[in-house]
Amino acid sequence: MTMLNPDPDAALVERVKQGDVRAFEMLVVKYQRRIERLIGRMVRDVDLVSDIAQETFIRAYRALPQFRAESAFYTWLYRIAVNTAKKALVDMKRDPVTTLTALQGADDDDETYRGGMEPTDGETPEALLASKEIAATVNAAIAALSEDLRQAITLREIEGLSYEEISDVMNCPIGTVRSRIFRAREAIAERLRPLLDTREGNRW
Amino acid sequence: MSQPESDRSSSCRILSALADGDCTDGEAVRAFQAWRDDPDARATWHRYQLIGDVLRSEDLATAPASDEAFLVALRARLADEPVVLAPQPRAEDPAVAAPAVANASGAAARSRGRWQGPVAMAAGFLVVIGGLNIVRPFNRASDANLAQAGAASGPVMASATAVNNGAIVPATQQTPAQNKAAADQLAPYLAAHRQSAMNAPFQMPGNDLRNVSLVQPAR
Repeated sequence: MTMLNPDPDAALVERVKQGDVRAFEMLVVKYQRRIERLIGRMVRDVDLVSDIAQETFIRAYRALPQFRAESAFYTWLYRIAVNTAKKALVDMKRDPVTTLTALQGADDDDETYRGGMEPTDGETPEALLASKEIAATVNAAIAALSEDLRQAITLREIEGLSYEEISDVMNCPIGTVRSRIFRAREAIAERLRPLLDTREGNRW
Repeated sequence: MSQPESDRSSSCRILSALADGDCTDGEAVRAFQAWRDDPDARATWHRYQLIGDVLRSEDLATAPASDEAFLVALRARLADEPVVLAPQPRAEDPAVAAPAVANASGAAARSRGRWQGPVAMAAGFLVVIGGLNIVRPFNRASDANLAQAGAASGPVMASATAVNNGAIVPATQQTPAQNKAAADQLAPYLAAHRQSAMNAPFQMPGNDLRNVSLVQPAR
């Protein structure tokens, strides 16, 4: 039986609810960049972005048993990120010096760990160059794909269509859609590998 | 060599499907195991997610080292968190599976309304069954006695009872032989009790066991 869920993260969320913290890590890898960009638009202090994103995921993890799938997981996570960033901004106005300690706030009095305090390298010249290289490589790989593969991955990733909708648009079976999207991803990943393999795989 | 490559390809296919929320339950389990056990699978998952993000916006093309550092720091914090264990809703009850957070109290009230009736009915049955269990031993004994006595007598009101093989039998329904045997059994017991009562400093009230002697003072 194939699961066709409106929320593509339903299987992962259910797995986390059953106690599998590793499934939550998969969600973190999936949404970390988007959450950091969202927070970065609200909080000007670049050093705080990673801390607030960490706090967002911790709060989401704690609240996950109450997540009722009324909305997509990302919508729910987005709201948590916005609220966490707003709280951080309020705390910063009250005490501009304190950062993460203020962020963790009154409801987390017993927490002393400050695991997210390492400086991020997202804004270094090397990191910016690497980001540009990654973007250029992905764009070049997309351009090199066959029309079928390019259309399938574009409809899925950019337009957000489900496999069933893509099969209607492309007039092919769902299994073919699934295969085309996988092949497109593999072709792009193959081009990305030289850029990512320097450190990837050692710590994931 | 070809088998591991085939496994890797199969694992990547499943991860690709899971990223889009389109895989079977068994495939999902395999994907979770791959993420847990296989660094290549973790790197593949990251690559697929990064590709999707970059296709949506070039702003999201972050260096992988940054993503790794983020996950490593978060893992350390998650290690201090209690494991999430949410109660699993029953599949056949959609209201329980997806109740509204905003109007959770309303959903709870509706849920209460649904189970109050059956629970009240079940409680009623329990009371009736409990009552029957209390009354039934007497009925059972009575039935047994009636079967023993046959259809000779009509309804009998027991005024006294005696123990006979563990069953409670009304004395009025015993045969003379049974009455004599019971009296013979009781005689030594009553005699011993009388003896004990006479020697005891304190006596318990009991008219049939008390001996009273009247001593006339000599004048």
